[in-house]
Amino acid sequence: MATAVYEDRLERMWQPRPGVLGWLMTTDHKRIGLLYFWTTLVLFAAGGAEALLMRTQLIAPNQHLLGPATYDEIFTMHGLTMIFFFIIPMTTGAFGNYLLPLMIGARDMAFPRMNALSYWVFLGSGIFIYTSLFLGMAPNAGWFDYVPLANAVYDPGHAIDFFCLGIIFNGISSSLTAANFIVTIFKLRAPGMSFNRMPLFCFAFLAASFGLLFALPSLTADSIFLFLDRNVGTHFFDVAHGGSALLWQHLFWIFGHPEVYILIVPAFGIATEIIPAFTQRRVVAFPLVAVAELLVVFIGFGVWAHHMFATGMPTITVVFFAAATAVVVIPSTIQVFAWCMTFITGNARFKTPLLFIAGFIFMFVAGGLTGIMFLAVPFDQQVTDTYFVVAHFHYIIFGAAVFPIFGGLYFWFPKVTGRLYFELPGQISFWIIFVGTNLLFFPMHLVGLDGMPRRQYTYPAGLGWGPDNLAETIGSYITTAGIVLLLANLVYSWFRGPVAGPDPWHGATLEWTIPSPPPEYNFAVIPKVSSAYANWDYEDREEDRRKLEQGAMVLEQGHEQPVSSTVDGWWREIVEMPHDSPWPIVLAFALSLVFLFVLLHLYTVACFAAGAVGLTLLGWHGEEPQESEA
Amino acid sequence: MSDYVAGGRAERTVPRSTGVGIWGMAMLVASEVTLFGTFIGTYYYLRFTDLHWPPPGTPEPRVVVPLVLAGVLATTSLPMQLAATAVRRGRLWRARALLVLALLVQSGYLGYEVHDYVHQLHASQPQDNAYSSIYYTLLGADHAHVGVGILLGIWLLWKLGGGLTPYRRNATQAVAFYWHAVNILTLVVIGVLTSAAV
Amino acid sequence: MWRRGLAAVALLSPLVLAGCGGGANTQNSLAPHSHAAADITNLFWVMMAVSFGGLGLVSGLLILAWVRRGKRGFRAADEDDPHPGERAAWWVVLGMGVVFPLAVVTTLFIVSDGLIINVTDAPAASRTALTVEAIGHQWYWEFRYPGTAAVTADEMHIPVDTPVNLVATTDDVIHSFWVPELNRKIDTIPGQRNRIELYANKVGVYRGQCAEFCGLQHAHMSMLVFVQSKAAYRKWLRDQAAPARSPATALERKGEDAFLNGACSSCHTIRGTSASGFVGPDLTHLGSRTTLAGVMLRNDPAELARWISEPQQVKPGNEMPDLRLSAAQLRALVAYLESLK
Ligand code: HEA
Ligand code: HEA
Ligand code: HEC
Ligand code: CUA
Ligand SMILES: [Cu+2]
Repeated sequence: MATAVYEDRLERMWQPRPGVLGWLMTTDHKRIGLLYFWTTLVLFAAGGAEALLMRTQLIAPNQHLLGPATYDEIFTMHGLTMIFFFIIPMTTGAFGNYLLPLMIGARDMAFPRMNALSYWVFLGSGIFIYTSLFLGMAPNAGWFDYVPLANAVYDPGHAIDFFCLGIIFNGISSSLTAANFIVTIFKLRAPGMSFNRMPLFCFAFLAASFGLLFALPSLTADSIFLFLDRNVGTHFFDVAHGGSALLWQHLFWIFGHPEVYILIVPAFGIATEIIPAFTQRRVVAFPLVAVAELLVVFIGFGVWAHHMFATGMPTITVVFFAAATAVVVIPSTIQVFAWCMTFITGNARFKTPLLFIAGFIFMFVAGGLTGIMFLAVPFDQQVTDTYFVVAHFHYIIFGAAVFPIFGGLYFWFPKVTGRLYFELPGQISFWIIFVGTNLLFFPMHLVGLDGMPRRQYTYPAGLGWGPDNLAETIGSYITTAGIVLLLANLVYSWFRGPVAGPDPWHGATLEWTIPSPPPEYNFAVIPKVSSAYANWDYEDREEDRRKLEQGAMVLEQGHEQPVSSTVDGWWREIVEMPHDSPWPIVLAFALSLVFLFVLLHLYTVACFAAGAVGLTLLGWHGEEPQESEA
Repeated sequence: MSDYVAGGRAERTVPRSTGVGIWGMAMLVASEVTLFGTFIGTYYYLRFTDLHWPPPGTPEPRVVVPLVLAGVLATTSLPMQLAATAVRRGRLWRARALLVLALLVQSGYLGYEVHDYVHQLHASQPQDNAYSSIYYTLLGADHAHVGVGILLGIWLLWKLGGGLTPYRRNATQAVAFYWHAVNILTLVVIGVLTSAAV
Repeated sequence: MWRRGLAAVALLSPLVLAGCGGGANTQNSLAPHSHAAADITNLFWVMMAVSFGGLGLVSGLLILAWVRRGKRGFRAADEDDPHPGERAAWWVVLGMGVVFPLAVVTTLFIVSDGLIINVTDAPAASRTALTVEAIGHQWYWEFRYPGTAAVTADEMHIPVDTPVNLVATTDDVIHSFWVPELNRKIDTIPGQRNRIELYANKVGVYRGQCAEFCGLQHAHMSMLVFVQSKAAYRKWLRDQAAPARSPATALERKGEDAFLNGACSSCHTIRGTSASGFVGPDLTHLGSRTTLAGVMLRNDPAELARWISEPQQVKPGNEMPDLRLSAAQLRALVAYLESLK
């Protein structure tokens, strides 16, 4: 009875603007998550289309579907798209945004408007980088864009300028997201959720966020230097004037390796939520896994030069980084066996999401083991820059980062849409994708060992590379078919699927305690938390219901959210959350103008645009949360 | 949990503290500091790959004046911090005065440094060699951060003109925090740059 | 044809790969012809065996879970023991997840980066009598033999059973010198003189290729290493060091002055003539080469003519322009260049 009263007070308090305007100005983490999802899906399609073009070109020796110039743009854009515009925004932007506040029992992110800003900036950077492709001046020096090939002498025109600016632009968005996650996790956990009671998913995203926050500046600096070298005439990378060509590589990989763990850790997070739900058992060795998730990123900052073993660095340096690479393996092995033991000691129900996680473990181990092979420096120096490396990272990236994304799509689909997907086509889609990717990526090992370097727009007949490449191409088509089936299943279920109810899986974490789809305010009562698997603590859930009756811990007085102490999540205070705001999208637009004008070398105009950014910020901070003086 | 609040109204009495604003500033500073870390790393990487540093023909950086000025700038951390405390105590006018004081010193510093920067550009340009490339980039980046700090200060002063709110109190704290970071950064940066001369 | 079948099998078992390789039309890192390459290959086989072990192990655990699926009532979480087997699981995680991998990687590290790395590393100056300079260009390899005037492109010769000190440098961007059957690869970094040892224990021709992405024609920047008996090598070097033989027939003479007075000489060097360009390969003994333009074409009059008349069709984007040449000029040029044995 009373329950209803409080709920519709909250309803009114958290009501979004109606219509399109509501989406343009939204600060609701769920809506922003969905915006991220649709955008990254389209970008995934683009990256996939590029991949298919490459595979079709390589289906047999001496093909002419793509000329060298186009091929170079295509594989570079494929790499950039998949890493910067698909995985990162899909995991952090879409999954993290939507789920993280739900899992820690918060009503939104710590900085809702900054969250919106991240999205609009991301969208801007995506449009920015893709215009280059349509203008036929897309980046074409590979995703790690080595100098001198990327400098003005060997790559005149705008292609690499698009790379530098696009990367910095996109980096701003990622940094904002990362900062937002860190603060959200530190301060907005439901009272009672001390760190040891935080779901592993959140540990994973905390790790990824720290990774982003501290890795990206290195890439930003690198891109700034390259842009200056190309357009201002500085000599950071110019050996003739005291610069260094290896400097670029160091700075890039100081970012680049942590980056690859940033790609994988959220996938770990997704896995560590799906597994308990489908084994009805807490993840084995919980604290160990939590630490491992953080450690893998931390150690990941110390291994970058293993991407540069063939550059003729002093042997001592090489050996040091090989040793570091050996160490970085351990957190991963810990997790793999923790997952496997959870499968065994729990009792697994192999529904589609869990199938994807099983597949993920298999692919991750396969890819991880080739990763281990690279720490044998002589072997790495033999296969580096061949398809063997391409095989390694696709096993890990597609198998271990994308599989959990697919699994997660199925797993949280009922929560987001309120409907269930269809199980049989789901399982079929898994098997198609699983077979497809292995047929696609396994032969890359062989053809790599057989001496095929990467980044070739074609290859001669008579070297025995034909059959493997044919198999890979067929595999890529099968994979695509599987992905399309997956999406078709979800789209159809969205309209026709059976109604799911709040908790179809008997899931473990807080998002399963609330209706699906979740209301704008997420939680009617700020939930009581006494373990990391809160939905299985029935007493607490009962207490929440009772509280709602009496209107305790409801905070329906304002647009409010409690703030907790950093470590043990004790009650600290209530803050007023900002409402919808036009400023994020305006600011993102002004920022896009800055990058556009810099690209066109209209530096003075760019300064005016920067001024516009400043004014927007002024407006942004003009509207204070209406708080009464304490 | 000891002070776990059960009642719906009860928590209204909880004294409001910093909110999360200061955390946002901490994040910004964290990534900016990392950026400068990379710049400084680059500086030394280039230095140790080159024989002559600075290369012949490129003037050595001055040592005393920049260091002294950086020191002077660093002292502004004091008034900024005092302003933050004053605001917390509700002493509005005190805070304003301290802010103005800090702003004067900071603007003086930036004014001179920018003038000096332009002056140096007559002797050597970033286009000369890797040394001057990183030299001007690093120095310029630092000046830019001082500039942003000054803008923040002015904005804050303007805000405090309209009385006190919890929001503005947190803002003062955040800006003070930013300035502490920038002051330390400046000391480090100038230290690194002058190291070429010793 | 057998190759296709072979690779089909190879799909099922990588082991078969060891079979193929050896010779000018493979580039197989598992068909070694030097101790360095052999050590790497053996290292790989061991690593692969262990890896399949690790993969099998994990797959086994997953299958076990599948077999034991749904044994207990589904709502395990509500049972009095919510964490069945936690203790045992901990031990497995610590044992298999920490101790075992640590042991594996430590052994691997010591063996590969402590021992084998010394075999594949650059040679000590004392160990090698012969130095060859490999200079990367977009998109061909230039080879110089210090101490002699010999300069050649895309095809280098070395004596058998002789450790060669190979110095890899670049004229423009980063390339990577790689002859998988003889040794691991080494990048050419601007401002660096990277070295590896090149050694072959068997007379024959070995294929190599630029491995670092270097622009449009990275795909066609291959090379051939001719391993010869010491005597044959010495003779070859003597011939290469000599200046170009002067044209004998009238046609060749026509070709020579077409070359010297045409655009060619502005990019190519022919030692002993006035042609001394540096953009393209040294053509002094082009006639003695078996292939052209980064092992793209056989070196015979027809292919050569095709190259000279339309290099941009053959190798799009390469630095050599299509120069509209009359059929007569073309015939003369081909005759002349082919005569440069
Ligand atoms: C999601 C991304 C991701 C992840 C997680 C990893 C994980 C690892 N990577 Fe990979 N890597 C990439 C993405 C990734 N990599 C990319 C994109 C590139 C190429 C970039 C480019 O050149 O374009 C690359 C390239 C790359 C190189 C450079 C190769 C070269 O260019 O020469 C190296 C070298 O050391 C390396 C090593 C490793 C190692 C040791 C791990 C480890 O973290 C793996 C740890 C996991 C396991 C070990 C699995 C668990 C195994 C078991 C439980 C079995 C039992 C264990 C034992 C028997 C030991 N990777
Ligand atoms: C997240 C990372 C990621 C992912 C998922 C993939 C996925 C794929 N990659 Fe790629 N790849 C990279 C990251 C990734 N790759 C990187 C970093 C490089 C190095 C680039 C460089 O060298 O610089 C690379 C390089 C690379 C190469 C080597 C190029 C070369 O060296 O010459 C090849 C070649 O086959 C390849 C193929 C593929 C294929 C076939 C897939 C397939 O799995 C793709 C399958 C997916 C699809 C086909 C999309 C289907 C989606 C839809 C249909 C959605 C529809 C939705 C709407 C319409 C809204 N990739
Ligand atoms: C603008 C410079 C330029 C001009 C002019 C030029 N070449 Fe070339 N040539 C090159 C370059 C560069 C290559 C290497 C192409 C590659 O393999 O990427 C080359 C390759 C060749 C080769 C193959 C060499 C080898 O080792 O495979 C031959 C033969 C050749 N040129 C002949 C000629 C002739 C004959 C002419 C005049 C009609 C000519 N070139 C004009 C730049 C030039
Ligand atoms: Cu030269 Cu690739
Ligand atoms: Cu790495």
